[in-house]
Amino acid sequence: MQRRILTFVVLLASFSLIYSSITYYALSKAPSQPFIAWGVFSPSETLSNYFSGVGMNVTTHKILTWHFEVTNQMGSIQYVGVVYRLGNSTSNNPNATAPASATPQIGNTSRFIPNGQTAAINFTWSINSENQAGGLVVLNMTINGQQVFSPIGSVKGLKFRFFFELWTYDLAANSFLYGYEGPGSRIGNWLQIWFNAA
Amino acid sequence: MRFRQSAFLGTLLLLTFSISATTDNVSGQSTPIDIAQNKIVQAFQIVNQADLDGASPAAISQLASNLNLALSYEQSAIQLLPTNKTGSGVYASLSLNMSTTTAVQALNVASAARTQTLLSQLGDYSLAVASGLGSTLLVIEFHRVKNFVRRVRLRRLRLD
Repeated sequence: MQRRILTFVVLLASFSLIYSSITYYALSKAPSQPFIAWGVFSPSETLSNYFSGVGMNVTTHKILTWHFEVTNQMGSIQYVGVVYRLGNSTSNNPNATAPASATPQIGNTSRFIPNGQTAAINFTWSINSENQAGGLVVLNMTINGQQVFSPIGSVKGLKFRFFFELWTYDLAANSFLYGYEGPGSRIGNWLQIWFNAA
Repeated sequence: MRFRQSAFLGTLLLLTFSISATTDNVSGQSTPIDIAQNKIVQAFQIVNQADLDGASPAAISQLASNLNLALSYEQSAIQLLPTNKTGSGVYASLSLNMSTTTAVQALNVASAARTQTLLSQLGDYSLAVASGLGSTLLVIEFHRVKNFVRRVRLRRLRLD
């Protein structure tokens, strides 16, 4: 009798362990690498043709309507910020670890994006006027309805460029940090578009 | 019971918000926009926790929409500040209210998600143990099953 009970207990423990392990495996989330993907789209919904077929030249008062599409695959809701900077051909680029802090920020937008969703963020801009300052052309612009005076100039108004940086809110740091939290370290993410103020 | 717990947590949150808002005002350093910004972050923290606790994507999507609305009110408050302080204050207040409401909703969603996850896991593991018990009985009593099958076959043969 005792042997029967012992057999029963051992078998019950073994089977329970096997089935519980299978349940644990089935309930566990599949491993995945978190990432945020984004791009800046032209009015024709493409990743090109930003100036509607007139090269890179942007005339004064021409309104350009672009938008960012930001996809969150981080595994949870993200508070995403997009920082805009206006640089020229000699400005230092942002990189995978650091933003282009030396280039002045001319605006930003933020948005909450649930996991697995894509947010569209508008970026509408125009050049109000071009002014001469120290042999350089500096721009007075309107970005998303806000008037912006950029301190960065460019020779003859050529080779300006927008830097767009992706920032995410870090709850531990209690502030926005450049890039997003990757496996082991933060991953910086930026875009740029060149233009001439014609 | 869950409603009571949620109501208690909600009240606690509102009290915390009220106290922190009062403290912010007393310090004389925070503007209504600063307070609204802080509340948005606090609400985000709770929504994020609800998401990690296993709240449904639909619920998180709704909470995210509310947070984005709070954010747009806050942006309007910032834009109006130089020209219309009263209007700016109204938008900051709208943002604050929306963040607070969202935070309370997120607390309820998180609580429901935790309960749902717990019950679901309890059910799944109970099924695993029950299957273990069934398998054990099958192995131990396998000879009885064999005998039963034999008897059924014999009965069929006799009937034929």
